[in-house]
Amino acid sequence: MTDQVISDYRAGDNRVDGHPAHNHQADNYQADNYRAAIAAALAGGWRVRALYAAADGKAVRVVLSEPGGRTMVQTARADGTGSVPSIVDLAPAVAWDEREAHDLYGLSFAGHHPMRSLADHSVPLAEWTVPVHGHDPYQVAVGPIHAGVIESGHFRFHVVGDRILHLDTRLFYKHRGLERAAEGGTIGRALGAISRACAACAVANTVAFATAAEQALGLRIAPGTARARALLLELERLWNHLNDIAAVCAGVGMAAGGAYFLALTERARRLNATVTGHRFLFGSVQAGGNALTLDAGDIRGCADEIAGLRSAAEVGWRELTFNSSFTGRLHGVGIVDAAAVARLGVVGPAARAAGVAQDARTASPYPGYQDFSPVLASTAAGDVAARFEQRMLELRQTFGILQVLLGDGPVAPASVLTDQSAGPGQPVGVGLVESPRGATTCVVECSGDLVGRVRLRTGSYANWPAVAHAAAGSLLPDFPLINKSFELCYACADR
Amino acid sequence: MFTLLKDLRRLRRELALPRSDHGHDPGNDLSRGPGHTPSRSLAIRHVDAGSCNGCEHELTLTAGPHYDLQRFGLGVVASPRHADVLLVTGTVTTRMREPLLTAYAAMPEPRMVAALGNCAAGRDVIGMPGDLAGAVGDILPVDLVIPGCPPAPDLIARALLDLIDHDRRPGAPGITRRRSPT
Repeated sequence: MTDQVISDYRAGDNRVDGHPAHNHQADNYQADNYRAAIAAALAGGWRVRALYAAADGKAVRVVLSEPGGRTMVQTARADGTGSVPSIVDLAPAVAWDEREAHDLYGLSFAGHHPMRSLADHSVPLAEWTVPVHGHDPYQVAVGPIHAGVIESGHFRFHVVGDRILHLDTRLFYKHRGLERAAEGGTIGRALGAISRACAACAVANTVAFATAAEQALGLRIAPGTARARALLLELERLWNHLNDIAAVCAGVGMAAGGAYFLALTERARRLNATVTGHRFLFGSVQAGGNALTLDAGDIRGCADEIAGLRSAAEVGWRELTFNSSFTGRLHGVGIVDAAAVARLGVVGPAARAAGVAQDARTASPYPGYQDFSPVLASTAAGDVAARFEQRMLELRQTFGILQVLLGDGPVAPASVLTDQSAGPGQPVGVGLVESPRGATTCVVECSGDLVGRVRLRTGSYANWPAVAHAAAGSLLPDFPLINKSFELCYACADR
Repeated sequence: MFTLLKDLRRLRRELALPRSDHGHDPGNDLSRGPGHTPSRSLAIRHVDAGSCNGCEHELTLTAGPHYDLQRFGLGVVASPRHADVLLVTGTVTTRMREPLLTAYAAMPEPRMVAALGNCAAGRDVIGMPGDLAGAVGDILPVDLVIPGCPPAPDLIARALLDLIDHDRRPGAPGITRRRSPT
């Protein structure tokens, strides 16, 4: 079949005061073969960030980025039967994306076989699970309702004895159709829908959306807005990482450590409420502008509390690392090594814990990230211990970044700056943000001032296949701990 | 380890919710006044029917040192068969409707349903009608609504502690369906 590439995404010129606002300029990429174009890009150091069906379900778009932060979008039109060549063999990271486009938009992917359903829950068990044969394998079904205060999702473990041979995850129980609800409305309405995707990553998701929307509309944001966003992103990372350390403690059954870091999480969320009026920072990100106001007194109070949290976190961390009965439980469990990170497209702390120095903040134009370089866990073993240590290392970075950002004085609300030189905008805008769980990509296609299509591919979405990978070969009783060491959102993935 | 435990003890003394039977803080809504001894408990089964994860994160913190609701006899249990209350978050998605009904059917009677958060209560719902089955009240009889987006842990604590003293014996006056001001 003829693979058609339409690369209509042109270099953007959105800037924050001289800095490229998004660093997401794209090359004009012309090729006559979709698969060849993707293969060439991958060979050239680009990586796939998202694959999604166009709003009409008649084309597939692939978003790629290179380490410098530039992005490009490749489009492949479906043939008369609604079929597109699959690229899952070239980039296994898009497996879920293709399955989602199949289930929700009716596209088929030639070469993606078997096409197991992801969002379509109507199919029989055998059609969405991997067949496991051998001596005495059996299945353990868990969820969608779990035993604790946990989001809904279904895990089907294929087990021999206590050993997990394979894990099939079935999410999308919480699919609310938020992307489609965002489409056809104004940017503001779409931002509201995207902000509801996930409370834990609300800032990362909305900043990714706002960035993409600004790029699509040709808007330039004020320097104050950029600083406010960096501040909010790091505040979100602060409470999430504290929460994730508590989660690993809970996964082991280390009650004192869990309670201690849960108390710090509560403090961090109270700080959020003091700073923005909302414990999850809801409503603090706007497309094109900034709603955050911090006067000198707010800044002082915020800096003091952050210093207090920093020393308290260090005390807790020291106690945990000196507790060998606790740390002994973490080593060598649930390994996702660097090769698996590359193959599965793992992002965020889980990738860095395997020694892969990838972080969307390195290419971020926002203040606070100018000299940013990712920190890596000491062992780079990609196990629970490394992911646990990774959180603390990143917490220290976050404390440092927050202090720098707060040192720059008060934050004032800013409104949209429309820059004529930025041009009339682009058909497709891309936002790439490092959420607490990894790189989150948001794509916005505008038709006029309205949103034509939104695709939000969060760090959680990227990393769910890695959880299944880490579980294979592990013991079933270790799964809660492995799962907690990723601490992925279901809401982010399901939307 | 000793350092952690010492700090947690300090936290409880200084910050945690007062135990109602101590009557430390008569002005606090959570206090039932001096001499009150909680003699009952409430077993809660949480079901996420399609939330944004905000209610879950806040509910998790009610077990943290600042609130520690287990001290008041409130505990999250692993099975609906052990539960007095089904605590439901989120607008119910089409895919969670059946699991939610199954969990409710598994509960012993008398049973109660609490809708946690605005989405569960059917307020400010965002999503596609084809993917949503409705508010919790459209699917199950709701006894208690805890509003908020998401409700902060102290609000959750307050509402659940209110619920604990309700007489749930057969024949006792039922809990009136409460709606908070919109």
